[in-house]
Amino acid sequence: MTKILQRIKITSLNTLKSLQAIAPMLLAVIGTVGLFKTFITPQMIHSLFDGNIIHDMFLGVSAGAVSVGQPFLSYIIGGELLKEGISLYAVTAFILSFVTLGVIQLPLEFSIFGARFTIMRNLLSLIFAFMVSLASVYTLAAIKGYMS
Amino acid sequence: MSQKKQVKNKSGYIMLGIVGLLYIILYSFNAQKTEAAVFASLEVLKMIAPILLVVFFLMALFNTFIDEKNIAKHLGEESGLKGWLIALVGGILSHGPGYIWYPMLQQLREKGALDGLVIAFIYARAIKLPWLPLMISYFGISFTIVLSFYIILGAFAQGVIINRLKNI
Repeated sequence: MTKILQRIKITSLNTLKSLQAIAPMLLAVIGTVGLFKTFITPQMIHSLFDGNIIHDMFLGVSAGAVSVGQPFLSYIIGGELLKEGISLYAVTAFILSFVTLGVIQLPLEFSIFGARFTIMRNLLSLIFAFMVSLASVYTLAAIKGYMS
Repeated sequence: MSQKKQVKNKSGYIMLGIVGLLYIILYSFNAQKTEAAVFASLEVLKMIAPILLVVFFLMALFNTFIDEKNIAKHLGEESGLKGWLIALVGGILSHGPGYIWYPMLQQLREKGALDGLVIAFIYARAIKLPWLPLMISYFGISFTIVLSFYIILGAFAQGVIINRLKNI
C-alpha cells in the first residue's frame, strides 16, 4: 500500500512537471486563439470564395486550418457558407480542416511530438481533408441519385 | 534536464513573449478589440481548465498503474484489432481541444504505443459526438453519417500509412 502511495506521489509530481513544462506554450496558443477569435471574422472568411470547386476547396482547407474555436463554430460558419451558395466540397473541406489542422497550435505540437511526427500528421490531415471531402460529396450524390 | 528538453521549454517562453508583444502592439492600434481578445482568451482558458485537469489526472493514473509492457500490449506492435478499436473509439469519445491531449499521447508514444494508433486517435477526434445533432440540423443526417464514416476510414488509413512508413 505504501509502495503504491509512494508511486502515486512520484507520478503526480512528474505530471505537474509536465504541466509546468507545457504551460508557457499552452498560454501562448490560448492567447493567439483569443486574437484570432476577435480579429478574424466569419465575414472575412466568406469574402474569399469565388465558385471554382478546386479553388474553393483550397480556400476551405486554408480557412479551416487557420481558424480556431469550438467545432460547432465550423458547422455554423459552414452552414452559412452553404446557404450563400458555396459548394459542399469547400464547406466539407473547411469543417474537416477546422478540426484536424491547426496552424496556431503547430509550435505546441512541434515542441511535444517533435518535427517528424508533426509534419507527417499535418501533411496527412491536409491530404485527407481533400480526399474525405471529395469522397463524402460523391457518395452523397450517389445515394441521392439512387434514391430518386 | 536534457539539452533538447531545455530548448523545448525555451521555445514555449519565446512563443509566449511573441504573443505578449503582439498584444501590446495591437493594443496601441485598437485597445477595445485587444481587450476583447484578452477576454476571449480567458474564456478559452476557463473552458479548457477542467478538461486539462482530467487529462493530467489520467496521465498521472497511467503513469502509476500502467507500465510500458501494458501499453505495448494494448497499443504497441502486438495490439492488433484491439489497438485500432481503442485508438478510434478513444479519439471519438475524447473531449476538448486536441492540443490538451498531446502530452498524454506523447507519453503513450514514449511507453511504446504505435505512432499510427496515435495518429488515428487524433484524426478520429474530428467526429465530435456532442455536436453531431447540430451538424445534422445544418447538413442533414445523410451527410453526417457519410462524413463520419469517411473520417473513421481516413483515421484508420492514416494510421496504417504511418505504421508502414515507420518500417521503411
